[in-house]
Amino acid sequence: MEVLRLQNLQKSFGSVRALKNASFALKEGEVVALLGDNGAGKSTLIKAISGVFPIDRGDIYVRGEKVSIRSTRDAMDLGIETIHQDTSLAPDLSIARNLFLGREPVKLKWLGVFAPLDFAKLRDAASALLKRVGISKKLDADALVSTLSGGERQSIAISRAMQFAAKVIILDEPTNNLGVEETHGVLRFVKEVRDAGHSVLLITHNIHHVFQVADRIIVMRRGEIVAEQTVADTDLLTVESIITGADMSALLKETRAK
Amino acid sequence: MIAAEDEMPVGKRRPGLMRSPQFSSLVILTVLLAVFAIADANFLSPLNISNMMAFLPELGIIALGMTLLLTAGEFDLSVGAVFGLAPVVVMLLVQNGGVDIGAALLAGLLLCIAIGAINGLIVTKIGISSFLVTLSMLLVVRGAALYITQGFPLKSWDQPGFFVTLLAGSFNVGSFRFYTSLWWFIGLSLLAIYVLRYAKLGNWISAIGSNRNAAVARGVPADAVKVWLFILTSVLAGLAGMISAFRISAASPVAGTGYELEVIAMVVVGGTALTGGRGTILGTIVGALMLRAIRNGIVLIGVPGLAYNIFVGLIILAMLILHALLQKNAARG
Repeated sequence: MEVLRLQNLQKSFGSVRALKNASFALKEGEVVALLGDNGAGKSTLIKAISGVFPIDRGDIYVRGEKVSIRSTRDAMDLGIETIHQDTSLAPDLSIARNLFLGREPVKLKWLGVFAPLDFAKLRDAASALLKRVGISKKLDADALVSTLSGGERQSIAISRAMQFAAKVIILDEPTNNLGVEETHGVLRFVKEVRDAGHSVLLITHNIHHVFQVADRIIVMRRGEIVAEQTVADTDLLTVESIITGADMSALLKETRAK
Repeated sequence: MIAAEDEMPVGKRRPGLMRSPQFSSLVILTVLLAVFAIADANFLSPLNISNMMAFLPELGIIALGMTLLLTAGEFDLSVGAVFGLAPVVVMLLVQNGGVDIGAALLAGLLLCIAIGAINGLIVTKIGISSFLVTLSMLLVVRGAALYITQGFPLKSWDQPGFFVTLLAGSFNVGSFRFYTSLWWFIGLSLLAIYVLRYAKLGNWISAIGSNRNAAVARGVPADAVKVWLFILTSVLAGLAGMISAFRISAASPVAGTGYELEVIAMVVVGGTALTGGRGTILGTIVGALMLRAIRNGIVLIGVPGLAYNIFVGLIILAMLILHALLQKNAARG
């Protein structure tokens, strides 16, 4: 089942064509890694999908239906959740408040933004969620996010995306600045997310991580998608050479000969 | 309020309460009050307490708006000027324009809304720091007040009536004399506590100040919230200015000079983070009481008038150092 399809997405900033005809599809329950050097257009692509800015041309389909994404809210409502390394959580708020930020359970709904938070519901839902994702043993739903480690924060952000039954979870450099132990924790978590039926689009610089969790690899260069391969059909060096665009076939042969 | 404090969502850490900024501020306030009371018996006399309570709401009301604004990560330095301009405009309309007092007050309200909206829109849409925007607005607003009055204070509305009673009526409780502005302060404080701690909007305000991008990414309309907070702060400054003008029956174009810093001092002394994300209304109330008590107390105990800003500054500095140390401790614990 195809969850997300992008068709000929184009985006320019002034005279810079950040995205030229990008097309690909994401299936249910798969992890796709989006690779590329700095300036390849990765972040432009994910920002377009997550509604940070509108695309100039092209179509986006969610579950076969053509959609228009004009705001981050649109993307969220369509089940597309994006998690950035530094911009996902508010450190001064509790885990529970962060989990429901922007979608707070309230009583007396008619009061609009002045409606009181439903604290019992907030805490119960947060605790249940933390338990389900297996991080309840250490974390209290009322703890401030500022007291958490980088890996714990990533896990919280990913859990939040899962809780809203997101169809597509976009992870932007989820293992940046994490220690070895924590990186493995997050990668393990990504697999669990996939096994729970969510599709994951993983943006990363670290090719080793890609080979640990991804099913498919998409490589971008200068605003275009230049390669699309299943992980089983490729290897690290090939992918590296596609990313840099350098001819590494000679090196490749040499390595294989050994 | 104590019971509510225990149920607070981010709480559940009773031991932490003792080290919370509100709590340390409260301890220091108590110590200060005790010192002043011992140093001068008149400090706790009905007359002196009545005096303090007459001044308290005027800055306190502005501090409530400023707390919400600071929690969302923005400043407003134009509040003192708005405090001066609003009553001046209202009185000019009444005295020179022959406008009905009710209509003039409405015009004053609209003016405050406009000033707040301009502050907010420039900060959010053009992306200039609120420090610079509201500093410029301070000059514009203060300059306007001076120009339209030609620098002369106006006689304020002194005929008893609905609006005067509403804003600056007074009543006696035993030998204490209180103004209705105290009710305004209490009412608005309760409202602000509710909004910041218990309402959906409060969650948004804290999140915006803590990590604006995170809030925006969750669909929180950060810019709109900020614009409304600028409007609220401006309106509260105008309201406080009207209360003051009615109480002393004069509208001076230089009223409220320096209030912006005094108000910000109240807010941060109470424990609200200058960097946004962490705000406490209870702390601001304590901070407002503290600054009022300091200003009043050090005059009573005989500190020379010209020296007294030295003490005010030193006490504020000591408070901030204490908060910083507590913060460090909390991070380590």
